[in-house]
Amino acid sequence: MLFPFSASCRALLRPGEAFAPAPPSLARACWEMARVWMPLALLNALGTAWRMGQAYELLRRGAVATGLFERFGVDPSDLRAALASLPPAPAFGRIWPWLLLAVPLGVLGTWLHHAVWDHLGLWLLGGLKRKRGFRTSLLAEAQALRVAALGTLLGLLGFVPVFGTLLALPLLLLDAYLWVFRGFALAARHDCEPWRGLAATVVHAVLVSVCGLGLLGLTLFVARLAV
Amino acid sequence: MRRVPWLALGALLAGLGAWASTWLRPVADLLPGCAFKHFTGLACMTCGLTRCVMALGQGDWRGAFHWHPAAAGLAFLLPLLSLWDLRRARRGDPYPRLPDSRKARTFIWVLLLAVWAFQVVRGI
Repeated sequence: MLFPFSASCRALLRPGEAFAPAPPSLARACWEMARVWMPLALLNALGTAWRMGQAYELLRRGAVATGLFERFGVDPSDLRAALASLPPAPAFGRIWPWLLLAVPLGVLGTWLHHAVWDHLGLWLLGGLKRKRGFRTSLLAEAQALRVAALGTLLGLLGFVPVFGTLLALPLLLLDAYLWVFRGFALAARHDCEPWRGLAATVVHAVLVSVCGLGLLGLTLFVARLAV
Repeated sequence: MRRVPWLALGALLAGLGAWASTWLRPVADLLPGCAFKHFTGLACMTCGLTRCVMALGQGDWRGAFHWHPAAAGLAFLLPLLSLWDLRRARRGDPYPRLPDSRKARTFIWVLLLAVWAFQVVRGI
């Protein structure tokens, strides 16, 4: 193995072959996903919290482009006064212990959430076989998310000043690919056509994420670019 | 075999989420609107959902049905679904499989599209 994520890179480049080998047990797949993804997700969350705290403090000090607000008739001095009156952000030292609790819950919650909605999407598209139930979807999601953790690793580059800004669009495109990548795992484990697996992830996005995930993604995107 | 009542737990979390959403009320007007509606002028499938959840958090069922009838209807059914799930878990029964029926799938697709069309026509 050249580097720890070489298998993930191969899977992302050849998704059709990535899930051809016999599947591991659900417990094993879940452990592999958590082992790879959780430390990266924790680093990502720590970086995001730190960066958002910095952006918030800059905002409080009035470092905001007032041109746009002036067009809506907002007085720049009033805006700065309002921003200066915002309460200070909690110290990073108070936030990070909570992340140690929130990130594992978030990782497991994301896995379950994706499994539930992708399973429903696959059912709506007629991709479920009679003998393969929700457990199969849980296994497929765990395997796919273990590979998709590579995206979280690359996402850490987004915190590098200037470089992160340049990478914002490619990272968004990678996020979109990693979203539909789960469809290959679903199709392989449920033994249905790949298009059904891919479409299930799209149905999931349409049903659940039209507003919520878009808003969350936009907020994180802006927070990363803010500093 | 002991079973976990996942649906009941999910319903409990959804209830807590609806209650917590009332904290958003002071800044509700500042939340960015739906991007799909902004660009197309048409409501998306989930337009009205945030306002529906906030209404539910305040116990305003009339408002919730106004903003998103399907979500409010589902919220109305959650206690019944939870009771069924608790009974299922206590008896140790597994969850039933989703029906392998083209009719059932078509019905859900039609329902989803009808809800969307309803929201578009009302201009939510």
